[in-house]
Formats: sequence, C-alpha cells, structure tokens
Amino acid sequence: METLLGIVGKDYTLLAADAVSARSIVVMKRGEDKSRPLNDHNLMVFTGEPGDAVNFAEFIQANLKLYEIRNATPLSTKAIASYTRRELADSLRSRNSYAVNLLIGGVDPKTKTPELYWMDYLGAMVKVNHGAHGYAAYFCSSVFDRHWKADMSLDEGIALLQKCLHELRTRLVVNQSVFIVKVVDSNGIREIQV
Amino acid sequence: MDYNGAAIVAMKGKNCVAIASDRRFGVQAQTVSTNFKKIFEVHPQLYYGLGGLATDVLTLSEIFEYKLSMYKLREGRDISPKTFANLAASTLYERRFGPWFVEPVIAGLEKDGTPFVCGMDLIGALNFATDFIVSGTAKEQLYGMAESLWEPDLGPEDLFEIISQTLLNAQDRDALSGWGGVVTVITPEGATTRYLKSRMD
Amino acid sequence: MPLNLNFLNAGRRENALLETGDFTAGLVDSVDVPNFELPAVANPVEFLHHQTKEAESCRINIAKGTTTLAFKYQGGVIVCVDSRATAGSYIASGTVKKVIEINPYLLGTMAGGAADCSYWERELGRRCRLYELRNKERISVAAASKLLCNMVLGYKGMGLSMGTMVTGWDKTGPGLVYVDSDGQRLKADLFSVGSGSTYAYGILDNGYHFDMSEEEALELGRRAIYHAGCRDAYSGNTINVYSVKETGWVFKGNYDIAKLHWELYAPEQ
Repeated sequence: METLLGIVGKDYTLLAADAVSARSIVVMKRGEDKSRPLNDHNLMVFTGEPGDAVNFAEFIQANLKLYEIRNATPLSTKAIASYTRRELADSLRSRNSYAVNLLIGGVDPKTKTPELYWMDYLGAMVKVNHGAHGYAAYFCSSVFDRHWKADMSLDEGIALLQKCLHELRTRLVVNQSVFIVKVVDSNGIREIQV
Repeated sequence: MDYNGAAIVAMKGKNCVAIASDRRFGVQAQTVSTNFKKIFEVHPQLYYGLGGLATDVLTLSEIFEYKLSMYKLREGRDISPKTFANLAASTLYERRFGPWFVEPVIAGLEKDGTPFVCGMDLIGALNFATDFIVSGTAKEQLYGMAESLWEPDLGPEDLFEIISQTLLNAQDRDALSGWGGVVTVITPEGATTRYLKSRMD
Repeated sequence: MPLNLNFLNAGRRENALLETGDFTAGLVDSVDVPNFELPAVANPVEFLHHQTKEAESCRINIAKGTTTLAFKYQGGVIVCVDSRATAGSYIASGTVKKVIEINPYLLGTMAGGAADCSYWERELGRRCRLYELRNKERISVAAASKLLCNMVLGYKGMGLSMGTMVTGWDKTGPGLVYVDSDGQRLKADLFSVGSGSTYAYGILDNGYHFDMSEEEALELGRRAIYHAGCRDAYSGNTINVYSVKETGWVFKGNYDIAKLHWELYAPEQ
C-alpha cells in the first residue's frame, strides 16, 4: 500500500514517497519521512517491511558515510546503487533478509547529470528515467510513459508528479493524502511542497 | 524462473557464432524497463547470456566478472570458451542446495576459430550443443523457431538474420519477454552487436 | 391465473419472461433459460470450491489478461479493447475479438473467461431479441445489463469469470453499465476492466472531459489501450475501436500496437 515515485529531469531527480506509517488498518503516523540522504547529492526513498526499511536505509547510509570518510571521496549515484543492490541481493540469501523496495536518485554535481535507479527487495536493479513502487506503479507507469519527456524543467517535472498524485487520489482505494517530495540537484537535496 | 521473464538464444554458424536476447525487465505482468542487459562480454571472442531471476542475473554477472578478472590476472591470457563453460558450471554447482535461479547460455569461438555454444541448467548440468541453445521463459517458442529456421554452416550475415527472426518471432508468442532485442555475432575478426526493433507490447 | 414467481429463482430452470403453458413443450425448451448440469450434491457452490477458490492448487484457470475500456462523452460512448489472449505466459492469440456485437444497438466487452463472456453475451442477445418481439420496442441498456446480471448471478460462486461493459443507445440516450460474474452492476461515465485497466485509467483520468469531440475521444481510448499494452504483459497486439451513437454502434478500426508505437507514438517522444 506504500508508494514511491521518481522522475529524472533536465538537471535534477525528483523523488516522492507517501508519508503514511500504517500498521494493519491503523494509521500510526502522518508525516513520516521515508527518505534518507546518502550524501550531498544522492537520496534514497524506501518502503517495505516495517522496521526493515528504516534499518536497512540507515545501514546503507552509515556504511556509505564510512566509506567516504575512509577514502575521502564522494561516491557516484551508480556506485551507491551498485553497493546497495549487492547488500540487498546478499541479504536475500541470508537467514533473515531485508524486504525493502528502493529508489535511489542523485545528480553528479560536476556534470549535473541526473540518475535514478529502481530496485526491488530481491536485489533486481534497473536505471530508469521514471520509476514507481507499490500499487502506484500500476496507475502511474502509463502516466509517466505518456507525459515524461527528456530534459524537463523542474516545473514540468512537478506538473508530471502532480498528474500522478491526482491519479492516485482518484483511483487508489487507500487515500494517501500526504506525500513528501524531494528534489536532488547540483545544489543538494531539498524538500518541496507539491 | 518466470518471475522476471527472458528470451535468450545462441547459435553456431560457419566460423562464427551468434547470441541474442530480449531487453525486458518486468515483475510478473508489469514491465518496468526495456533496456535490461542480459548478455555480457567476456572478451571479443566470448559472450554469455543469463536468463532467469533478474537479481541473480546481476549478481552472477558480477561474480563472473570477478572470477574472469582473477583468471586473466593469474594466467595472463583470455579464457577459452570451454574453460569458461566449466567455470560457470562449477560456480552454479557451488550453490547446489540454494541455487542461483539462472540458466546461462555461452557462445564463443575457440582459439583456432571453432564455433562453440553451450548451455546449462540452474545447477550447472552442461549441454554442449552442435546447433543452438535457448533459455528463458520463451524457451519453448525459441526451440520451435530455431528447429525450423536453423541450418548448418550459415555465414555471419545469414546467421544474424536467422537468430534475429528466431528471437523476434519467439518472443512475440511469450508474454513475459520481448520489448526489444539485441544480437551479437562473433567472427574471428571480432564481435558486432546490433539492436533490434520489435513489438513493444 | 396464479402469480408466477419463478423469476425469483434467477438462472435456474424456470424462465421469468415466459408464461408457461402457452407454448408447446419443444418450443419452451428452445427459448428457455439455459440451465447447466450442476454437481448432484446438496450444495454445489461448496462442492466446487476446490476448483473456484483462488488459493486451491487444482483451480480451473481461465485466460484472464485483458485491457478493455468504455466511456461516455457528449457524442455517445467510445469502446476500446485489446486483442491478446494468454494461457499462462503463452500468447495464445493476438487477434481475439473482445467486443461482442450483441445487436446493432448493443455492445458488450470481454474480460475474464472468454467462453463465459461470449456464451452469456450471446445468450443476452437472444433474450434481447425476444424482448423486442414481445414488446415491439428495443430493450434499454439498463434492462439488458440487468438480464445479464441476473443470469450470471444464478451461477454465483461456481467459477464463472466475467467482467463486462454493456453499452448502447436507448430512449434515454447513451448507456454504459458494468456487469461482472460476482453480480456487481454499476452505471458510470467511465470504466476500464482487466489486468491492464489500471494503466488505462492513468491515461483516461488525465485526459478525459465530457465535452470532447469524437476525434479526441477515439484517440484518448486508443491511447489508453496502447499504454496498457506496453506496460501489461498480458495485454496487447491490436486495438479494436467502436463508437456508439444514436443510430447504433460503428466499428472505427483495428490498430496494430507495434505499428502505432513505431509510426506514431514513439517518434513523438
């Protein structure tokens, strides 16, 4: 029932996650941030088994931080995604595996090239221009296919995201009214209101 | 094996081999991406394809890359297709009781130019074929097409045509594979890779 | 004459529309409601559970992948469907007719079991003709869909699989009703049914407005099926488009999705 959406634009990546934390039929909290910054220009949004998701995200966050301190070098989005994928894939064949679905978005601060990686709990990963997780994927994939264009400005990207949120609000049984939306560009990561 | 979907085929020709795959990455009925890499280069005379569970396709390709790099470092030469086939088979058998859900297909030319194709099941039972090898969810369809189109001693261009038609017509009868195709033809002069236009539904 | 309450036994042996006795036995048989041999047990529904329940391993699985849609707009109703039939992951056919032409004024769409849809909608066509002969006027879309609904309701729980939209034009104007094998019956301006329906809704909801021209409406419907075909593995091949107007339905064409993709939609992007 959780939703993740991601869009690659001209020089930014736009990531959105629903902000509802639910247990069984109860909404435990509205306004939960299901994202973690991995460094200045890379952001991960995640959903999955309660507990697992945050635990895994913070595990990745901490290890990447450690790597960057040890080697005094920032990692690219691709490197971050590859590392995260392998951790997930190895975890899948361990005794208790993480059940977490992810989108990792980032921008190369020098070339301003945005990247978005789609990853599922099995450790399957693809680089995409637009991606979605959860039931939202069934409703929003076609919206992305129809309206996404290469080199969209931030305003166009936000308009596309609004089309998706509008569709979810009209068709998805569970009304996820609150979304946290973040933009990653060469200036860093910031939250925006949509 | 039918969670993500794939169609992979390799064929022998006269002094050449070809390997082809579809490009879909999907989760059951849902198509997520149409540029998923399923064929990997070992060196210009040796390629392999992995069909099956996408996470294992990625992990196994990383393992092979590591093992092949170590081999090259140790031996100071490129691995031969036959040796790679055995390396792949034993890598799979290492996980006999918790297998990688992948069926590899290998295509290459031996040092003397002899064409080589082989396949294996998910725990490394080798199948050295004299004609062609297929793998993935479109396996049955690929067998049907390859059995009727393939003939011995095809030249590189004819082989490209035959393997492309085999792939395209097979994946058009499989719901879980398709959305583009990629073909690599290996000749003693080197490998050429071409992308195919196909149905996108 | 005693009041005939047999119509309460929906889908069973007796026919609510016929006064019995007025016809010869043979004729009654030929216009009677179809009745199927059921397992000879006290509770057939329960008896059939091991074949009809989702979780059972010996469940009878019927081809289910489809995308169909229909919507009302100022000019009438647009109906668009794909043409793929799958058996498991095997594409059994790419040229299925998923719009059933019940009569010149009524269309039904096909999602779920192909046999169930085509049988019951053919039967509906026969019943609509009988209604016309008896009442000297055409049946309304509402009444026709109710007939269909009542028929399948008689076999509820026994494994029928059908999700259909009945559309047409009657005295009240354009009609669009969704009927399924659970016995659900809904009237609205816009429906999409099948495994690819969510993708179609994504396109429809963003592009739909009631006042659009026929041209726009046909393009929107076609586009929605195209996108569903691209994303859903079990939908695709070709698109059949119909337009329903006051004069009855018109077949608007058959479009190959691959052709649409490479010649029209892909170059746009």
